[in-house]
Amino acid sequence: MDNALLVGLSRQVTLSRELEVVANNLANINTTGYKADSSIFEQFLMPEASADGFPPDSRELAYVRDRATWHKFAPGPTQRTGGTLDVAIDGDAFLVVQTAAGQRYTRNGALQISPTGTLVTTAGDPVLGVGGPIQFQNSDHDISIGEDGTITVREGASATSDSTRGQLQLAHFDNAGALQKEGSSLFSAPAGVAPQPPQNVRVVQGAIEQSNVSAVAEMARMIEITRAYESIAGLLQQENTERISALDKLAAVPA
Amino acid sequence: MRALDIAASGMAAQDLNVQVISNNIANMNTTGYKRQRAEFQDLLYEHVSRVGTQTSTQGNILPVGIDIGGGVKTVGTPRLITQGSLSQTGNTLDVAVIGDGFFKILMPDGSFSYTRDGSFKMDAQGRVVTPEGNVVQPGITIPQNSTGIAINSQGQVSVTVPGTTTPTILGQLTLTRFLNEAGLQPVGDNLFKETPASGPPQDGVATVDGYGSIQQGSLEQANVDAVTEISNLIAAQRAYEMNSKVITAADEMLKTTANVQ
Repeated sequence: MDNALLVGLSRQVTLSRELEVVANNLANINTTGYKADSSIFEQFLMPEASADGFPPDSRELAYVRDRATWHKFAPGPTQRTGGTLDVAIDGDAFLVVQTAAGQRYTRNGALQISPTGTLVTTAGDPVLGVGGPIQFQNSDHDISIGEDGTITVREGASATSDSTRGQLQLAHFDNAGALQKEGSSLFSAPAGVAPQPPQNVRVVQGAIEQSNVSAVAEMARMIEITRAYESIAGLLQQENTERISALDKLAAVPA
Repeated sequence: MRALDIAASGMAAQDLNVQVISNNIANMNTTGYKRQRAEFQDLLYEHVSRVGTQTSTQGNILPVGIDIGGGVKTVGTPRLITQGSLSQTGNTLDVAVIGDGFFKILMPDGSFSYTRDGSFKMDAQGRVVTPEGNVVQPGITIPQNSTGIAINSQGQVSVTVPGTTTPTILGQLTLTRFLNEAGLQPVGDNLFKETPASGPPQDGVATVDGYGSIQQGSLEQANVDAVTEISNLIAAQRAYEMNSKVITAADEMLKTTANVQ
């Protein structure tokens, strides 16, 4: 009887964690370049606990535990902003960002220029080009970013010819699922996962990629979570009532 | 329950988003106004189980981990410096910049401010000033009784003084450019100040070296697009609502637990 309580409890713990994942998705519904998470659960067989009174295939007690959160890398909708330094990546690739902790990857293409003229993310970390950080000069104007990520400017007095400032470095991962979220729209690659050169990727200037959170799906999942949680609570309640009635009956000494 | 805090961060972010959108809408008819956008990022993650952890002595590793996010944060409200459309006013001292560049304004404290709002006036001494009375740089004084104020595309101000037939050139308006115009600090009154993020100001002459050209008799309207703002407002409001639903859901789950006897 105690086992039933624990099985129910294991489900409630995973459900409340799943709600946290849904809450985080909904909190980031307007976050540029955000990728939605979903939880994966697995059956967890308890080797010690078993009930011999049941048919053989039901003897082992199955608990539930969360095994993973899975990042959904489907592209988010592209929103046109007209900003010169806004880029959206059309295709399966990430921008490469140099942070204090090492190279990180992002789909958030709302870029800025730092006081020293370096191309940076909104958080101030340099965005890497093929040959390192991309540096602008004070006299640069009319920045244009080509489909292959090449950044050209008109320099100083020159109003007709372009000067190249670098090319955005793009990283593709064959197994993007292995990337870990770092917060601040950044992903990190664990040891052994190396970026590959991207194929068929296009950089779009003047647009940003919105969050790929599907509001309808998340709301539906949230309702499902609350109801499942309630039904488990009902089960626990029933279990408790049964125990009380058993105690009453067993402890009733006939006079 | 952490879901409560996560949803609260989402509601706070959408609240700020609505503030930014409402400021854009409030300034729809402000000359030279540049719209802002609230930019968000996800907060830190708790790595309940790290991806790549060994699961067996044979060297098997977890292909995916458990990352639980902590909500959302606002990183900035960058300004979108794009060209606003021009409206014809016919006023001789109304000027608009088509392209790059800000007008340079001398403030009473001796510092400089920069603006895209070219609705200039003349003060009692004949100086070209902003509607607040601050002098447009370089100081240009229009002589009394002169007629036919003309400002050409290069910003040259000329007038015809009585008794002459050829126009007299009084001076040339300065245009200032910044490497990162989005980094300018707004100080109200349509004025911007230089910041470490904007880079140093570079004064120049209109139509030369990539600076914009000046159009007399026109004003640059705000670059706020009503349709975009309203659709952003709807999205922000719905996102706020959904985050409040998460709070309700978390509350119901807590209630369910509390009611188990």
